[in-house]
Amino acid sequence: MHDDALLRVSSLAKSVPGGRELFRGLDLIARPGQLIAIVGESGVGKSTLLNILAGLDRPDAGQVAIEGVGLETLDEAALTRLRATRVGFVFQAFHVLPYLTLRQNIALPLALVSADRRSITARADAMLERVGLGTRGGGYARDLSGGELQRVAIARALVHRPAIILADEPTGNLDPETAAKILALFSTAVRENGVAAIIVTHSEAAAAIADIVLTLTATGLERRA
Amino acid sequence: MSLLSARLALGWLIGGEWRAHPARLALTAVAIAIGVALGFAVHLVNGSALSSFEGALRSVNGRADVQVNATTPFGFDEALYARVATATGVADASPVVVLRATAGTARFTLLGLDVIRAAQVTPSLIGIAPAGVDRRTDAAFDGQALFLSSAALRVLRVRPGDALTVAANGKATQLRVAGALPGVAEGQAIGVVDIATVQWRFGRLGRLDRIDVKQADGTSTAALTAILPRDATIGTSASDATRSDALSRAYRVNLDMLALVALLTGGFLVFSAQSLSVARRLRAFALIRTLGLPRNGIIATVALEGLAIGLIGSSLGLLLGYAVAYAALTRFGGDLGAGYFADGSVRLAFAPAAAVGFFLLGVFAAVAGSVLPARIAARVAPAAALRNAGDMIDPRTPVPWIPAAALIAVGGVAAQLPAIGGLPIFGFASMALILAGGIAGMPWLARTVLAPLARRSGRSVASDLAIHHLHGAPGQAATALCGIVASTALMIAMAVMVTSFRGAVDEWLGQILSDDLYLRVEGSSGFDPAAQAVLRATPGVAGIAFSRQVPLTLSADRPPVTLIARPVDARFVLLDKADRLPAGTIPIWLSEPAARLYNWKVGATVTLPLAGRYAVAGIWRDYARQQGAIVMRETDYSKATGDRTRTEAAITLQPGADPVRVEQALTARTPRGLARFVSIARPATLRRYALELFDRSFAVTYLLEGVAVLVGLAGVAATMSAQTIARTREFGMLRHIGVSKRQIVAMLASEGALLGLVGGIAGIALGGIMAQVLVHVINPQSFNWTMATRVPWGIVASVAGALVIAAAGTATLAGRRAIAADAVRMVREDW
Amino acid sequence: MPYPFTRRFKRLSTGLLAAAAVTLTAATPAATDYPTVRPGARFVFPREHGAHPAFRTEWWYVTGRLETREKRDLGFQITFFRTTPKTDPANPSKFAPKQILFAHAALSDPSVGHLLHGERAARAGFGLAQARIGDTDVSLRDWRIRRLADGRFVATVKTPEFALALTLTPRQPPLLEGKDGYSQKGPLPEQASYYYSVPHLAVSGSLTRKGTAQPVTGQAWLDREWSSDYLGGGAVGWDWTGLNLDDGGALMAFRIRGPGGRQIWAGGSFRRADGRVVRFAPGDVRFAALKRWRSPRTGAVYPVAQRLSIRLPEGVRRLDLNPLFADQELDARRSGMPVYWEGAVRTPGGSGYLELTGYADPLRM
Repeated sequence: MHDDALLRVSSLAKSVPGGRELFRGLDLIARPGQLIAIVGESGVGKSTLLNILAGLDRPDAGQVAIEGVGLETLDEAALTRLRATRVGFVFQAFHVLPYLTLRQNIALPLALVSADRRSITARADAMLERVGLGTRGGGYARDLSGGELQRVAIARALVHRPAIILADEPTGNLDPETAAKILALFSTAVRENGVAAIIVTHSEAAAAIADIVLTLTATGLERRA
Repeated sequence: MSLLSARLALGWLIGGEWRAHPARLALTAVAIAIGVALGFAVHLVNGSALSSFEGALRSVNGRADVQVNATTPFGFDEALYARVATATGVADASPVVVLRATAGTARFTLLGLDVIRAAQVTPSLIGIAPAGVDRRTDAAFDGQALFLSSAALRVLRVRPGDALTVAANGKATQLRVAGALPGVAEGQAIGVVDIATVQWRFGRLGRLDRIDVKQADGTSTAALTAILPRDATIGTSASDATRSDALSRAYRVNLDMLALVALLTGGFLVFSAQSLSVARRLRAFALIRTLGLPRNGIIATVALEGLAIGLIGSSLGLLLGYAVAYAALTRFGGDLGAGYFADGSVRLAFAPAAAVGFFLLGVFAAVAGSVLPARIAARVAPAAALRNAGDMIDPRTPVPWIPAAALIAVGGVAAQLPAIGGLPIFGFASMALILAGGIAGMPWLARTVLAPLARRSGRSVASDLAIHHLHGAPGQAATALCGIVASTALMIAMAVMVTSFRGAVDEWLGQILSDDLYLRVEGSSGFDPAAQAVLRATPGVAGIAFSRQVPLTLSADRPPVTLIARPVDARFVLLDKADRLPAGTIPIWLSEPAARLYNWKVGATVTLPLAGRYAVAGIWRDYARQQGAIVMRETDYSKATGDRTRTEAAITLQPGADPVRVEQALTARTPRGLARFVSIARPATLRRYALELFDRSFAVTYLLEGVAVLVGLAGVAATMSAQTIARTREFGMLRHIGVSKRQIVAMLASEGALLGLVGGIAGIALGGIMAQVLVHVINPQSFNWTMATRVPWGIVASVAGALVIAAAGTATLAGRRAIAADAVRMVREDW
Repeated sequence: MPYPFTRRFKRLSTGLLAAAAVTLTAATPAATDYPTVRPGARFVFPREHGAHPAFRTEWWYVTGRLETREKRDLGFQITFFRTTPKTDPANPSKFAPKQILFAHAALSDPSVGHLLHGERAARAGFGLAQARIGDTDVSLRDWRIRRLADGRFVATVKTPEFALALTLTPRQPPLLEGKDGYSQKGPLPEQASYYYSVPHLAVSGSLTRKGTAQPVTGQAWLDREWSSDYLGGGAVGWDWTGLNLDDGGALMAFRIRGPGGRQIWAGGSFRRADGRVVRFAPGDVRFAALKRWRSPRTGAVYPVAQRLSIRLPEGVRRLDLNPLFADQELDARRSGMPVYWEGAVRTPGGSGYLELTGYADPLRM
């Protein structure tokens, strides 16, 4: 065991409400700057796993700890706070709110915990710069292409300096060329920020940028060479 | 993480929503505004009318502590004055003669006062002459001196110093305008003359109508009551207030209720708009919950939106309400055309407490309408919501019906309960419960009605989709329906009530207007026996039945009933009659309201403030006199009162006589002094006039009803368009799989029409039930008259039609806009 | 004391009848309908004690001193007025204002420091107000003055602050003022009244204050006056005094002031203890202020102490009139009365009342 593990999952088990078991005895450790891809067939429980890691769903057994804090010890309010401060999300559907400016979309995680408009804006602008949308902060989602929207989503996932980023099929809605650019950006961002990233994906391209690729099966995670 | 620290994010979310959908939020604010405006306006108008009416009473009464009032227009013996003045507890007493007077065409209240007494007891009733008027006479006791209130000076168009011929009690005399009455409130037409002059010149020698009493400190009216004869009662400011309140209270409460209904409908509109807004934003809410907004943050967001809607809508509503009240008062008068407050003008009185009340009601409606859907949204798991394309619809989910049935059942029980303080409180509660039950039952109804349709298929794709969508998501449909149902139900209920009432009035008019010509003298004068004989001998007249109507005070805190002296024959239609009367009693016939108000049964012996013992011989239907009326045989009346003057006559023509010529002959034979005040009418004219009056008194009811329906339809439109927009992606998918634009529009139109139909059917059914409560509970309890139900089928059909068309139309319009974009974009559309 | 009464009566009517709005202070209408006061009428008693309803105005005016058991000195005034307005005599109504009655009462108590007062008014009729013809019996609800068969007068008044029930016993015959009761009031002979006084009335009875009755004794002066037309033009006010002298003498003097305090008319009479009467011509009477008092309420300055000089055959006699206390101003504007000063005064060798009008406001004629 290493002290610098940002995410530590042990003996995790989960069944669907119908009774079918998704996985059991699942273990996972993610360290700073580490990008872990989880692949697997549809319906195997990848998204459920991600929801459990985010504290949006509870496992039937096992523990999840983010920066050493066990999620099972937290109540709903604490989980919410944990998500707002230590977790970043990137979704397949970009979920960029159409009625907020791009700057506001990016700053949303910060605005949930602080009302200091100036510093929030400054950090959002810095993130926009980082994802190559430096001049677009006042624009709206409808002005952007899919790749640009996902850049906004990545910026939003990183803006509050989380410990881990959870990405659910981040390139699923993008053409291969754009997807490649986004993945490159994602990987650079993860490494530069020293966060741990978990990507759930079908895409080989996405898996290719990962440090570790794990396949989710009914018995747990298997490392792919 | 508290909501406070997330305030910036909440602000963004609310601000973003408002920037994105300003029209929808504006519409909900306007709905609240309309509700608040109507409630406030009706309240203001009622309050202003009542306070003006009370002001008028107070003006005429001059703010005496206590009054001894005559129970009939014939007054009481003036000897009572000396007894009252020397009674225990009386500090001073001021005798008054009160007459309705005319000068030219203007009318005013003429008071005969002893200025010395009035100066002590009712100083507001004495005036100061402008300088320059005769300073060299005893004007204080000048029999010719007439002092007029500013309103009277205005309507009579006279100035101090002018001569004026004043007519009252069938006599006229010339007076001189000596000055003004500055103590009389603005708007009250009052004239004051020395009491001796009034008694002498207007035929009231020996009679008084009123004694104003100044009480010694801390005394009761018991000593006074003990010495009063039958034809006088004690009145205090409290009993005056009760009386003027009783005059129109039921009517005012009914209007207030209607106004609240409008506000309620506004609340429904907020509810449906916010429900859809929340449904549309479910994923946005899920996102920010994933990002770290606490569960109650969503409720807070939507509640804040509702609060903003409520604040804006309520503020707007108060302004609008004030403007509407002002316009209504100027246009219709204080009773909104219902004819309760005939005298004096009404001035708009701002009511701060009511303003605050209606403001809060509006805000409450908006916040409640927002919080309810927000709570549902906050319960949705964020992860599921994020992944979901739309609502999780499961057509197998059972829909509860028990709460709805329970509400309706409780409503039914409430309808059986009696009135409280003359107000049908339980009746209104019953209507509210039935309405709430009906709305709660909407999902179940939508499911039940659509289930057979959903099982059958093979129609067009469009209608299949429409039926399945509504059948599968009855909750969503119910949201859209509740506005329709509420407004339809209320409209139908009111329409049925008004139709029943109007039909009953019409039928009743047919019963009472059975003669050929009707003649009436306005004012307090009438035909003496000689004049009656002259009229009776008019060529072409087969029979003439003279009658007399005088107000009769039976109780100090109730408005007087109308005593009608007329011949009673077999044509007198009765609702109920006594088999026999106690020996030695004089028969009287009570109108239905009189019987209910005073709780007198047929056959009972009753005391009237007239000489003799009376017994109730029967009860007759009367929709004209809400405060009650008593019919007495003309001959009995003359014996009891000595009054042989008659003010009305019903004339039967000889066969073949020309009504026009008889009318002219009658006019020609009218005594010269009266000719100006006599009007002759035929039954058709009277009937038309009566129904016009009826319609005018219900004009505001119609208006309020119409507004409630408009708000309801606006709700339908908003709901339909919002739902349509929320389903853009669904339409995109349908287009991908080969459904044409036209079919989608047709589907939406069918959905709209179905919604309209289901809502209409439910609303009409509910309205029918509520109409029964109105007709058989609220009306008798408020107005003391009964009627049979008549259903306005035409209105029912057109309401149903209008609803279907409006719902389908708005759905179509919204649908056209929603599918204007290309299919690919619609599917890809992020939100 | 004709003018004060006329004035006061008229102001009283005006005030009460503010309604009517006509200032009765204006000269009475040409008194064609009323009898004219002429010299040479012969007074018959007790007939003259009763009302003379044909005349426009009339009063029974009692002023005097009271002594309580604790020897406290008080002043009192009880007045009943009667007036006959011009009305249509054909009016058969019982409310027809054929006679109007007013009454006024005031109590001067140095320990109170200001006047206590109350009033009544009514048109005659209904047993509530009437003035008897033939002998004194005037009543207004619970207020009444009447003459008993034995010649004594009984007066009862009730106000919220005090009540008086007094018996007034004459000890001297009536004093006919002017020429056998014809008292001229202005330069014109018809500006006159019939006027007699009954000085030195012995008073006994009770004074009720704060619900407690106490016996009182004292000495009073009754003025009886009736007329139809009093006032000449130009007067703004008047000073009047009636004094019971300790030696049994009685003195009445008045002057009418024009603008600037100028004396327009004056008169009076002095009945010596032995019964001989001296009548004053306008030039025989002089009032001079000794002490003035400014009313804090109205700002009016009253000569509350005066030196009265009268010319007697034996020479000019001066009497200094000193008030029981300075503030005997009657401010009854609230009930429609004028503001004037009506106070108990002492003079060496006697006591009585002083009346000062037209100081707060020049009275317009």
